[in-house]
Amino acid sequence: MTQSRQPVREGGRRVVAQGLGSHGVGGRAPEGAEQGPGAEQPGNAGGARNPRVSSMASASAPKCNSHTSENEPVKSTSQDGVNCDLNETVPRLPGETLITDKEVIYICPFNGPIKGRVYITNYRLYLRSLETDSTLIFDVPLGVISRIEKMGGATSRGENSYGLDITCKDMRNLRFALKQEGHSRRDMFEILTRYAFPLAHSLPLFAFLNEEKFNVDGWMVYNPVEEYRRQGLPNHQWRITFINKCYELCETYPALLVVPYRASDDDLRRVAAFRSRNRIPVLSWIHPENKMVIVRCSQPLVGMSGKRNKDDEKYLDVIRETNRQLSKLTIYDARPSVNAVANKATGGGYESDDAYHNAELFFLDIHNIHVMRESLKKVKDIVYPNVEESHWLSSLESTHWLEHIKLVLTGAIQVADKVSSGKSSVLVHCSDGWDRTAQLTSLAMLMLDSFYRSIEGFEILVQKEWISFGHKFASRIGHGDKNHADADRSPIFLQFVDCVWQMSKQFPTAFEFNERFLITILDHLYSCRFGTFLLNCESAREKQKVTERTVSLWSLINSNKEKFKNPFYTKEINRVLYPVASMRHLELWVNYYIRWNPRIKQQQPNAVEQRYMELLALRDDYIKRLEELQLANSSKVSSASTSPSSPSQMMPHVQTHF
Amino acid sequence: MFSLKPPRPTFRSYLLPPPQTDDQISAEPKIKKLEPVLLPGEIVVNEVNFVRKCIATDTSQYDLWGKLICSNFKISFITDDPMPLQKFHYRNLLLGEHDVPLTCIEQIVTVNDHKRKQKVLGPNQKLKFNPTELIIYCKDFRIVRFRFDESGPESAKKVCLAIAHYSQPTDLQLLFAFEYVGKKYHNSASNMNGVPCESGGGGVSGPGAGSSQKTPLFETYSDWDREVKRTGASGWRVCSVNEGYMVSTCLPEYFVVPSSLADQDLKIFSHSFVGRRIPLWCWSHSNGSALVRMALIKDVLQQRKIDQRICNAITKSHPQRSDVYKSDLDKTLPNIQEIQAAFVKLKQLCVNEPFEETEEKWLSSLESTRWLEYVRAFLKHSAELVYMLESKHLSVVLQEEEGRDLSCSVASLVQVMLDPYFRTITGFQSLIQKEWVMSGYQFLDRCNHLKRSEKESPLFLLFLDATWQLLEQYPAAFEFSETYLAVLYDSTRISLFGTFLFNSPHQRVKQSTEFAISKNIQLGDEKGLKFPSVWDWSLQFTARERALFHNPVYIGKSTPCLQSSSMKSFRRTKSYSSTLRAVPSSFRNGVLSDPELLPRRNSLVLKPKPDPQQQADGRGGDAEQYFRDWFSRPCDLHGVILPRLSAAHIKLWKLCYFRWVPEAQISLGGFITAFRKLSLLADEVDALSRTLRQQRGGALDAGCAEPAQSRMYFRAGGPQAHAAGTPEFLSSSFPFSPVGNLCRRSILGTPLSKFLSGAKIWLSTETLANED
Repeated sequence: MTQSRQPVREGGRRVVAQGLGSHGVGGRAPEGAEQGPGAEQPGNAGGARNPRVSSMASASAPKCNSHTSENEPVKSTSQDGVNCDLNETVPRLPGETLITDKEVIYICPFNGPIKGRVYITNYRLYLRSLETDSTLIFDVPLGVISRIEKMGGATSRGENSYGLDITCKDMRNLRFALKQEGHSRRDMFEILTRYAFPLAHSLPLFAFLNEEKFNVDGWMVYNPVEEYRRQGLPNHQWRITFINKCYELCETYPALLVVPYRASDDDLRRVAAFRSRNRIPVLSWIHPENKMVIVRCSQPLVGMSGKRNKDDEKYLDVIRETNRQLSKLTIYDARPSVNAVANKATGGGYESDDAYHNAELFFLDIHNIHVMRESLKKVKDIVYPNVEESHWLSSLESTHWLEHIKLVLTGAIQVADKVSSGKSSVLVHCSDGWDRTAQLTSLAMLMLDSFYRSIEGFEILVQKEWISFGHKFASRIGHGDKNHADADRSPIFLQFVDCVWQMSKQFPTAFEFNERFLITILDHLYSCRFGTFLLNCESAREKQKVTERTVSLWSLINSNKEKFKNPFYTKEINRVLYPVASMRHLELWVNYYIRWNPRIKQQQPNAVEQRYMELLALRDDYIKRLEELQLANSSKVSSASTSPSSPSQMMPHVQTHF
Repeated sequence: MFSLKPPRPTFRSYLLPPPQTDDQISAEPKIKKLEPVLLPGEIVVNEVNFVRKCIATDTSQYDLWGKLICSNFKISFITDDPMPLQKFHYRNLLLGEHDVPLTCIEQIVTVNDHKRKQKVLGPNQKLKFNPTELIIYCKDFRIVRFRFDESGPESAKKVCLAIAHYSQPTDLQLLFAFEYVGKKYHNSASNMNGVPCESGGGGVSGPGAGSSQKTPLFETYSDWDREVKRTGASGWRVCSVNEGYMVSTCLPEYFVVPSSLADQDLKIFSHSFVGRRIPLWCWSHSNGSALVRMALIKDVLQQRKIDQRICNAITKSHPQRSDVYKSDLDKTLPNIQEIQAAFVKLKQLCVNEPFEETEEKWLSSLESTRWLEYVRAFLKHSAELVYMLESKHLSVVLQEEEGRDLSCSVASLVQVMLDPYFRTITGFQSLIQKEWVMSGYQFLDRCNHLKRSEKESPLFLLFLDATWQLLEQYPAAFEFSETYLAVLYDSTRISLFGTFLFNSPHQRVKQSTEFAISKNIQLGDEKGLKFPSVWDWSLQFTARERALFHNPVYIGKSTPCLQSSSMKSFRRTKSYSSTLRAVPSSFRNGVLSDPELLPRRNSLVLKPKPDPQQQADGRGGDAEQYFRDWFSRPCDLHGVILPRLSAAHIKLWKLCYFRWVPEAQISLGGFITAFRKLSLLADEVDALSRTLRQQRGGALDAGCAEPAQSRMYFRAGGPQAHAAGTPEFLSSSFPFSPVGNLCRRSILGTPLSKFLSGAKIWLSTETLANED
């Protein structure tokens, strides 16, 4: 608490050392992620509602390590699942208010109906079983709700046939049966609709009401100037431009851009006219040694007539020449070529050979947002509520989800290989350059630059390539929006995180973060508790003052990093990761997509990880006891010189092992 | 030396032991002269010089030049050239890195590209063309290719024919083990009276590893007796009725039967069983329930009566007089032909088909092999029997026609799940001795060492695969690693170990006695020749390399544990899964039987399909409840472990099936990288624990210092330990390496070498042009 708002620039490095040393068994909090995003809050049960508990907890905090959450003591009792329901009602965040509660029957798809009480706040739906032999609890942020439907009518007969069916964005449905009398369903439906879809009711998203405090400020994690400086920019070839300071050049781009030194701001304006939504080619990443770059943009506005733009052609040539290589600039168009051609009809298109002599274009065959949405829907069909057991593999194949993952990874590998081998610089675009392009550049950067494989590095990567470059999170996720069938929605970011998970499976020691980190990010992609993923672009966020009015997800994560660390992480600088993008290695991410099924979900953390943590604890204990022993022996020696072994003989023993 | 048509060629006719062989086994290979390294009794049958071993299909730049020899044990390629692109070689003491044991050869294909001809070579066949190329398909999924462009055409042809001939022997005694053991007996005869050097189940590990005790082979009365006592079985006795194989030639000499059955009864009953196989006791639960395996009663008239007598006897041997549960394996599990068909398809898919062309339909192709389905079926059925033994307190009888195929797998899996002893290395080996080797699993026919393919079936591999699934799900419950399982599988293809050579213990005795007589070997009191046991791992690997068999995650009973009060929390507590915390008590068995609750259009009830995983016929509800309860409790790694059986949990054993596929290799990645980190830490903890003990004991008895031998392959003090990065020889294939073992069409023209070096994965077309 005392160190609140402390910027943590080098946090990653600091905690690694501490983590290994101090990660005792006692510090291993019971896993709470099963409950969904709600479980991640610090001070889950007590902190917010009772400020005294919180302050008492913090009073003991200095004894703990600095990275231990100040709310840990409160949390551990609440997660116990038993202690918290003595006369507790619902866990509440600061700023969260209880709206209503109702007795319902939860129709569990795995275990049949369970009587319970549901509590609805302006942030979450919380259910506790009322049956004495069951302690079912679940905790669902309203942001995760995609659709609420009434099931059954006045004439419905039969047990539990009258109630609500809630479709969630995280691969599950919730069904509640309610009594027909007393308008309880109507009330619940209206309240849920109001708070799950606040935008339709002129209400703010919960992130703007959230008053949580963390001892680190996640908004400080990403500073574009610092990140570009880390990459060695600006340099003689590349400059930072503020031409988009007021988002006048391009509304959906960040304020700060890196462009070739030789391109003037006027050049940029002329190029913008020829690129869809003015999203001009700008630098994403530069290789520290060979100076090859990854540049991102949107499609050129070629149209049916095959328009050309001398400025655009020249600009690409300027980019090519920044590293004094004579090879052609490689353009990766993420789309299937058919789609690229079809885009000409709406004014778009791709760079033709005739116009761009010094460039070579390849299509990466990655499908559009609609295809991905339908594919994920099919995944849900085969995993929820029941796993398609009889023809699991062919059913999985027919969703094409892993095939899409493969194509995205394959594309990113090609980008990474071009750049790291020093063959040529790469320009990546799709149609608008905010979906597939973001996937490709960020994954390629993850392969190329080990910095992004640390916890903070990954946060920066997401903040930079996704959030600041205008991946339309609001449209793709539909935060607080009731239009569940909106064609703009698509699991593009989820697909990216899935690709990261696939990489982490193939390289278990290469990432500082663990699976829980990725799942937490995905949970809060929907939860609306943090401002991180809200709105579509930086200009909109600035208008809404998101960084001032909301909390960043990275505050939550960085204030409790230990939970999100991969114990096997081995920091390796300058190592390029090449995953094998083959169906032989790609797997369905069971712990994410099938996590609601109690029969499928695997033990968390997995046994190997757990064993490693236990061994760490064992090692620390041995070291402690050895030290004690030596201390005792040496005092014996000093008091009585008759001791058979002298400490000087013992010391090397211990030291040899470290 | 080698004539095309030997009248009746046998190895014996070539028994001209070169005097220098014994020295050579320990000597370094004499590289300069391209001399083969030969084992005692091994002789070179034929050889050809100036052979090219292909490393990559699209370029010859990595090819190796050398000599190809065919001996009575292996084919060997001897070369001066270092292996290109390879960073690591897991050295087998019996086999060089370019060697293939003859029993590992699946198919021999000769090619002449000029004449565009190709022929699969069987034994005693003619070859009408001079081969320019030889492709060996191995049973362990490797494919090796040689080219003879620069060799003498006649010698090339002769070598090909020799390989075809010697790899497909007509008689069991032509397998190399006989020659090897015969040689050993002859050599030792001068020193001692016919005592061979190896005597069976050697320990797997070096000193200090805690499992250096010998593997019981169950050849003796006392091994069985000890096992009865170990399991605490009462009401069971070891019987000697089959001594000298007087009753059955496919049973061990000693086995365990209900105490209430007298030898005389057993002898009478035996006539009614297929193969005269009297029911065999496998194992007893601490609750008294026994696991028994039994062949069919062929005598229809006696069937009921004998069956009744046996069941009564088993019931009598149960302390609670519980009933017997019979499981007819022939009716519940795929048969051996189906398993073989699945395996052939799996192999085809994994190594023979072009990598890239199988990508699109990979998952459905994998499904259609049915291999995973079968693995799951065995695990599922075994888990159901665990329920019978453990929860219902019933003795279980496995019934199968001959009782020596499916029974071996099921009996073993049940015991692996129930008894932590069988999850140690020694225990697992003793299990294989007990349920496979001694119980008459027909290794000779099922491994098809003599290439009479109609009896081949990879049941043993299926068992190893199922064990791997358990290891994958409970990594801390097993003392051994997946490398151990893969090496064990490979060892079935080396015709040196008596373990995997015979159809029954009797066959070993009979055949080797015949052989001994023909070779003038004095056997003395011994029953047949003593072949080396596969459990004597020092024959194949050095102590350092054997360390890779150890699973660093394993929490053994002897694993150091903190004793101080701070370690109370060390007990593993499993955090319960899902939104449903501690729900088991409120489970409705997942099945809504009330018709009112069946889903209708406007109903809220999602139809919960009954979980196929735990639907045991009829008793589904109870068994399901048992499984649910079990999964909801923290897992005791020293107690029962049950497999998770959802289709999403049964995985392909990639190390085993992909290790030779370069395109599938993840360079510098794979589980092994985490395995290494764990090993380093475990080694450090071991060292600390030793230091601590030394210092504690130091005052009392300083003399009992333990040898500082590590049980880990990767050591904390080792040279690479503190180097920041992942050692570059690590890959998902580790400790195996696909380099040079697979030469077939490369994918989309991408140079294989690119995959092997791990540097580049995808190359665009313009780089290809530069490559050649």
